[in-house]
Amino acid sequence: MTEYIDVDVRPILRAGGEPFSVIMSALERLEPGQGLRLFATFKPVPLFAVMADRGFMHSECALDGGEWEVLFTPAAAKQTDAPAGAPSFGNWPEPAVTLDNRDLDPPEPMVRILAAAEMLAPGETLSALLRREPVFLFPQLEKRGYRWVGGFTPDGATYELTVRAPL
Amino acid sequence: MTDLILQIRGAPSLSGIKHLGERRGNLCRDKEPAIATAYDYRRRTKAVHGDDAEKSSEIMMIGASISRWTMSYFAMAVAWLFVVLALMVGGVGFPAADLASPDTLVLVHVVCIGWLSLAMCGALFQFVPVLVAKPLFSENWALPALGLLSAGLASLLAGFLALEGRLPAWLWLLPFGAILLIAGFGLIIVDLGLTVWLRPVGPARFVLVGLASLCATVAFGAVFAFALAGWAGSTGQLMLAGGVPLHAIAGLGGWLTLTAMGVSYRLLSMFMLSPDIDDRKSGATLATGALAIAVAVVGGVLPIGFLAALGVVLSIAAVLGLATVALYGRDVLAIFRARKRRQLELNTRMATLSFASLAGTALLGAALVVTGGFAGHVGAFVFLAVFGWLSGLVLAKLYKIVAFLTWLETYGPVMGRTPTPRVHDLVAERRASKWFVIYYAAVWSGTLMLLIGQPSGFRLAAMAMTAGVIGIIREVIRTRQLADVASPLRLPAGACAPHLLFARN
Repeated sequence: MTEYIDVDVRPILRAGGEPFSVIMSALERLEPGQGLRLFATFKPVPLFAVMADRGFMHSECALDGGEWEVLFTPAAAKQTDAPAGAPSFGNWPEPAVTLDNRDLDPPEPMVRILAAAEMLAPGETLSALLRREPVFLFPQLEKRGYRWVGGFTPDGATYELTVRAPL
Repeated sequence: MTDLILQIRGAPSLSGIKHLGERRGNLCRDKEPAIATAYDYRRRTKAVHGDDAEKSSEIMMIGASISRWTMSYFAMAVAWLFVVLALMVGGVGFPAADLASPDTLVLVHVVCIGWLSLAMCGALFQFVPVLVAKPLFSENWALPALGLLSAGLASLLAGFLALEGRLPAWLWLLPFGAILLIAGFGLIIVDLGLTVWLRPVGPARFVLVGLASLCATVAFGAVFAFALAGWAGSTGQLMLAGGVPLHAIAGLGGWLTLTAMGVSYRLLSMFMLSPDIDDRKSGATLATGALAIAVAVVGGVLPIGFLAALGVVLSIAAVLGLATVALYGRDVLAIFRARKRRQLELNTRMATLSFASLAGTALLGAALVVTGGFAGHVGAFVFLAVFGWLSGLVLAKLYKIVAFLTWLETYGPVMGRTPTPRVHDLVAERRASKWFVIYYAAVWSGTLMLLIGQPSGFRLAAMAMTAGVIGIIREVIRTRQLADVASPLRLPAGACAPHLLFARN
């Protein structure tokens, strides 16, 4: 039976604060075999992959008011209730297509990314360089089942986006 | 200040994280974990002099969808614009009537609430989520707010007509209208304010100050409405006697001008492929503008009891206002200079005429003050600000925004799967440009007619303005109806024609 340490980051999130350092320091204090019970104001899907990287499986359950309780269990420990919706950990391959859309007139960058994305084989990725955060592209990618990862370079001049076709 | 941003959509795989980790080498300098799926993890690090970096961050959803009711706001705003044009052509209100007459109050409130505020709110419902990369707090409030504002404005106008004796003396219509307007603007202020509040960056800060000014404007207006109905006691009468300039400054200067400035920063750099203006520069412009409004409003309320001192306060606010316009001019010039796109689109070319009108307004105001003619020509000054600067900018941007949103709504779902037209294919710029030129020429002549005291010349100018606006709006409707898109591309399989008055999102 796995022993869980409770971490409640709801007050931090409600105050608009940063919960990750708290979660990570709690993680470092865990004894071998111990798990983490996290309370958050939203389903912390982002954290699942990070925790998976550190060898924790997760199972979550919704609480009242849109809040969530998530159990992170060390992968070595036998999990009592197997997570139903655990992400499948396939590879994100190197981009099949690379686009430099930095000097295109808007909304041409979005058009080209969607056109290139439609050409990807299942699971393939494309990467694109942009000037701006493509806020109108995200809902379109989402509707089509694509995953994406993106961020600005430190100088803020270029937005790097990687899009992966659904499997 | 650096702004380090990292986003991930979808739960990336174990090796995806590694892949991400490699990328993060140049993205983030610290050891914080990456996070994913519809949450945007933003870390803003601020260098603190002589100390370690101070960190703060937020988590939020990403992306902006099409605002359902923006088109409805635009349509209602345009309807009110035609009302105001008809009034001016018909010679109702200033300059035929006195500036303080109820007829002029009708004119001013139709243009400021009906046309400019509704158009601005419609644009903000779409644009604020883009500025903060976060969905609107509640999209459901937009339509009730539009209903409340329209009903409130109608009631207020009827109240003014009652004051003039054109309707029976139902003065309760004024406070009733004010309450409806408070409710309508209140919904919008809370909705947009909460959306911006979590991430007040760059141009979004202008929106916050604009909304705060809107609060002040509405508060003044409500006091006046109650005072005109005789329900506000002696304090209300005192405010009514001295506070009208403050109401106008908060509304035209704070709410409409500062918000328009903020929105224009992003629209200009977006459409001209120019880097965003440095936050410190736009921040200085905003701080000066906000100070001007604060001095006028706060400094103005205090001495209302001693009317003599109000002039000093307004002079300080005017100097700060001039400085704001100068700083804004510097920022806009910098955006134009740094642009990558040499060939300017029609909306940007026409926006430059609006900037010229703003500069003209500032110069005219300064010249009138210096020559001692400001009080006599305040009508011409406000007319140029309202129709040259604000309305000109709104019309120019409306032309572009409607084209872009219509394109995104119609072709977004099929983009990449089938050939689709470009945004440019939805408009006929050559045809539209003449209407803009007619409009601006008419506004400038109208200003001149007011300055030289020619009411009939002003009505002719108003007719030309009406012709220009009819032409522009006809082009905008054609854009919305995809009337200029050649037929094989117009509606590819899977695309639906957009509705004129609202968006399917």
